[in-house]
Amino acid sequence: MRNRLKVLRAERGWSQQDLAERLEVSRQSVNAIETGRYDPSLPLAFRIADLFGMAIEEIFQRGE
Amino acid sequence: MNSQATASRSAWLWGAAFLLGMFGTGFAARWFDLPPVPSMLVMFPPLLLAVPFMRATERAQAASGALSPATRRYNRRGMVWTFSYVLLLAVAVIGAKSLQAQGPLLWVLAVLPALPILYLVWTMARYLIEEQDEYLRMKVVNASLMATGLLLALATVWGFLETFGLVPHVPGWAALPVWAIGLGLGTAINRWRDR
Repeated sequence: MRNRLKVLRAERGWSQQDLAERLEVSRQSVNAIETGRYDPSLPLAFRIADLFGMAIEEIFQRGE
Repeated sequence: MNSQATASRSAWLWGAAFLLGMFGTGFAARWFDLPPVPSMLVMFPPLLLAVPFMRATERAQAASGALSPATRRYNRRGMVWTFSYVLLLAVAVIGAKSLQAQGPLLWVLAVLPALPILYLVWTMARYLIEEQDEYLRMKVVNASLMATGLLLALATVWGFLETFGLVPHVPGWAALPVWAIGLGLGTAINRWRDR
């Protein structure tokens, strides 16, 4: 899956640590999701979407 | 990034010092044919290195953004079983010899060193239950499956070799150290994949 997490985070001027704290996950998790090494579970994907005020499919897209 | 590398190196160095100390004094005690009590006395100082090793590991986990509250609790519990294992093993070995234990007393003494290991197994289960971070939990689950696979493979092959009289008998308690080595290898493979 592809995602726009890095761009969305940068637009808000958040570091990976900032985003991790807002999502209550580790910085390593944010890094793994951003770089596409880990696809989050649906509950976490919803938390991410809620945080950015967007729909899941606006953040995560199909593809490698 | 730099502080991450420093923290990681420090954890490796403390780990190496701990292992060298434990194995070094252990082999030395064998070499000089020391009785159980002096052997345990010489092995006690390097055992204390487990504390700075755990702290350095925790700093490295924090620096790499992987220190969750559940991991912290798991590390603390690690100190509990490490020290109680050594203490209870000493009680069992010394007690069995000095009391020339037999019957029910020997059963009690013999099972003592297993109790902290059962606690260790419980702490692993607690970690997986308590870990709120799904990515960190998945990595530990991956590593423990690799460890389980390694243990099953080694135990099966060794068992048959033993049945046909090709290799010496290995006691059942060896399962946990083998599994722990597998967990370490699994963690290393995870890290390598993450690069």
